Amino acid sequence: MKHWCEMRQVVMWMLAVTLCAIGVTAQAQSGPLRIEITDGVVEPLPFAAPNFVPETSGAGEWGQRLAQVVADDLAGSGLFRQLPANAFISQITSFSSPVQFSDWKAINAQALITGAVAVNGSQLTVKFRVYDVFAGTELGSGLQFSGTTDGWRRMAHKVADAVYSRITGEGGYFDSRVVFVNETGPKNARKKRLGIMDYDGENLQYLTDSADLVLAPRFSPTGDRVLYTSYETGFPRIYVLDVGSVQRRVLESAQGTMSFAPRFSPDGRTVVYSLTQGGNTDIYQMDIGSGRSTRLSSAPSIETAPSYSPDGSRIVFESDRSGTQQLYIMSAGGGDAKRISFGQGRYGTPVWSPRGDLIAFTKQSKGRFHIGVMRTDGSEERLLTASFLDEGPSWAPNGRVIMFTRETQGAGGSASLYSVDISGRNLKRVKTPGGASDPAWGPLQQ
Amino acid sequence: MHKGHYISGAGHLGLIGWALFGGIFNADPLPFEVQQVAVISGAEFEAMLAGDAQPDTSVEIETPQAPVAEEAPETPESVPDNAVERPTPPAPETQALPEPDVSPEPLPTLPPVPEPAIVPDVAPVAQPEETVILLPRTSLRPRPRPANRVAPTPVAQPEQDTKVDDVVREEVKPEDVAETPKPEQEASAPEETATQITPETSEPASGAPSASLRPKTRPQRTTAATEPTTQDSTETESDALKSALQEALAGGDDATPSSPEGPPLTRGEQDALRVSVEQCWVVDVGSQAANVTVTLGMEMDRDGRVVTNSLRLINAKGGDATAVETAFQAARRAVLRCQKTGYDLPAEKYDHWREIEMTFNPESMRLR
Repeated sequence: MKHWCEMRQVVMWMLAVTLCAIGVTAQAQSGPLRIEITDGVVEPLPFAAPNFVPETSGAGEWGQRLAQVVADDLAGSGLFRQLPANAFISQITSFSSPVQFSDWKAINAQALITGAVAVNGSQLTVKFRVYDVFAGTELGSGLQFSGTTDGWRRMAHKVADAVYSRITGEGGYFDSRVVFVNETGPKNARKKRLGIMDYDGENLQYLTDSADLVLAPRFSPTGDRVLYTSYETGFPRIYVLDVGSVQRRVLESAQGTMSFAPRFSPDGRTVVYSLTQGGNTDIYQMDIGSGRSTRLSSAPSIETAPSYSPDGSRIVFESDRSGTQQLYIMSAGGGDAKRISFGQGRYGTPVWSPRGDLIAFTKQSKGRFHIGVMRTDGSEERLLTASFLDEGPSWAPNGRVIMFTRETQGAGGSASLYSVDISGRNLKRVKTPGGASDPAWGPLQQ
Repeated sequence: MHKGHYISGAGHLGLIGWALFGGIFNADPLPFEVQQVAVISGAEFEAMLAGDAQPDTSVEIETPQAPVAEEAPETPESVPDNAVERPTPPAPETQALPEPDVSPEPLPTLPPVPEPAIVPDVAPVAQPEETVILLPRTSLRPRPRPANRVAPTPVAQPEQDTKVDDVVREEVKPEDVAETPKPEQEASAPEETATQITPETSEPASGAPSASLRPKTRPQRTTAATEPTTQDSTETESDALKSALQEALAGGDDATPSSPEGPPLTRGEQDALRVSVEQCWVVDVGSQAANVTVTLGMEMDRDGRVVTNSLRLINAKGGDATAVETAFQAARRAVLRCQKTGYDLPAEKYDHWREIEMTFNPESMRLR
């Protein structure tokens, strides 16, 4: 009898254990449903930018202009797509009224930009808000800018920069300028002069005349000065030009030498450049305040096109010390250099990204030129463009877009400025009058 | 010649007889082994379990919720994809709201933009320039490698005659005369370090659930009452068993009262949901956010739409805070934009997709 009882007891405990096991099994199948999304789409984000609401008489035209420049900036980045105004279901008639999100969802607007503008004499004030339509929330808070009517484009660019930043999480680049070499005349008698313009080609002005050959302008970190190379004396010399006063001075003038390919350090106090002396080209740096130069490389080969890393600790440059033109990195104080490019072809004109993660370069391979990027250790090389002649990349201030020179083939060929996203998308020509080359993208304006 | 067999047989018979009649099986003093039990039927056992059942959970098992088709349809004038709006208010969004859902905030006035002339006034060349400042890139703290449980210096071994055991026992020798004599036992102590290199067991917190969900209890039967047994030992056993079962069933204190029942979503049903969201997930492959993997948690209503304000960021890997926020916003837009009138999910399996965790991993889309 006791044995039977024991057996039943054992059976009961086994049943309890089985129930526990069932519980564990159920736990493996319970909890929230877990889904992993790995394949999205790469397409511009649709947005709506109705005309900014006029808050004073006569501000209606300004509201239309401002909204259009903002929309052009965003759409021109390739990351956004403007929805046409005739698709709008509702209109923004008051900057303070609540937004009917359903009307904007219906036209698949993922972002909505509302704004208002007021004019008082020559004083212009613009304010705006950005909404995530499908989340039904405002991104950030309202913001306003004030300035003169003459600077209305800059105000629009600033609004676009803020919108871009709130949606992408990265800094914008619309309120920036580009200095470049304007080219006129036939290829065998081409005249060149320095021009400066907004990033989108507007507000063009010239900094030099076309009497002398000028090359490779480079902005200072704050955009108030420009370095460039001029053949005014028959030999290449480096000049520094004050953008505000258009005054200039020679930076390096040693007799019997040629200096070129200058570039500012990130703190703007030092210039790194190439100097050819006695048939050998090496890299030097000069303290602008004292004018004292320091030699950074001493190889018998050609070292040129130096560019600082954003923290100013390293310099990337091109050299043919290995027998072919390749990219190297050395300390900002000089010394041993490490080769980072190993692909087929020749690499040149390296430029360090403002983000610090990539280096843009020109590559010549199999008779074609490319603009490409690679990691700072030389890995993950990607070619973004290919043509008869692409060269001279320059980074947008947010490190997202590269502007470069593209020259067409033949005697009637001309140079133009192009820009491309670092993803290789959104390749487009930059509007310039006549030919243009050697772009240098400046920082965001203060 | 069979003497050996006879001896062996006699020995075995003696052993069996001693085992049967010598009291070998009832010598164990453990309480549960000496209690008397009674044979119970399956019905009695279920009735006994029913005493522990939760009445609210039983309803859902026996009478599952009606299909979602009984829900009121969308108002015809409303936009089909206004999923984030609260479904209960009858007024469509096209009507003027008495209270603005986004109250205008006071606009902070920024310093006026400087004169935007093409050639503005600039500082002298020799003036120190501002340094280009990169956004700090915070990286996830790397996981510490699990340390070995081996002491850096050898630990002094116990005395030679100390026996290794899990518990510490004082040595009691026969000559240690005490007022209450203790049984003789060997001294023992636990090992201070392992004899082998083994990783620490304290791993960082993982995503595994901390408590297991238990199945629901059987429905309570009102007609079948448990027959109380007259024997005390049987009651004691029943209590012990019930407590054991209760402990097992109530192990997941934080488990939701309505754990998923029935078969889970099939692979095809999950793929359909995945594809639906992927169509709306816009990835900016050149941005820092493309380096971020985010996991969103959300609650769903029976229409297959996200419950308002239930979308939340559960986890993120890679990138700084700004990139994480951007990646979260893109994922949120994808979920909300593509739900339209509701994701196509099987209504009868609502318990399985009432809560969803969706991970957006752009690794395969990054620039190479």
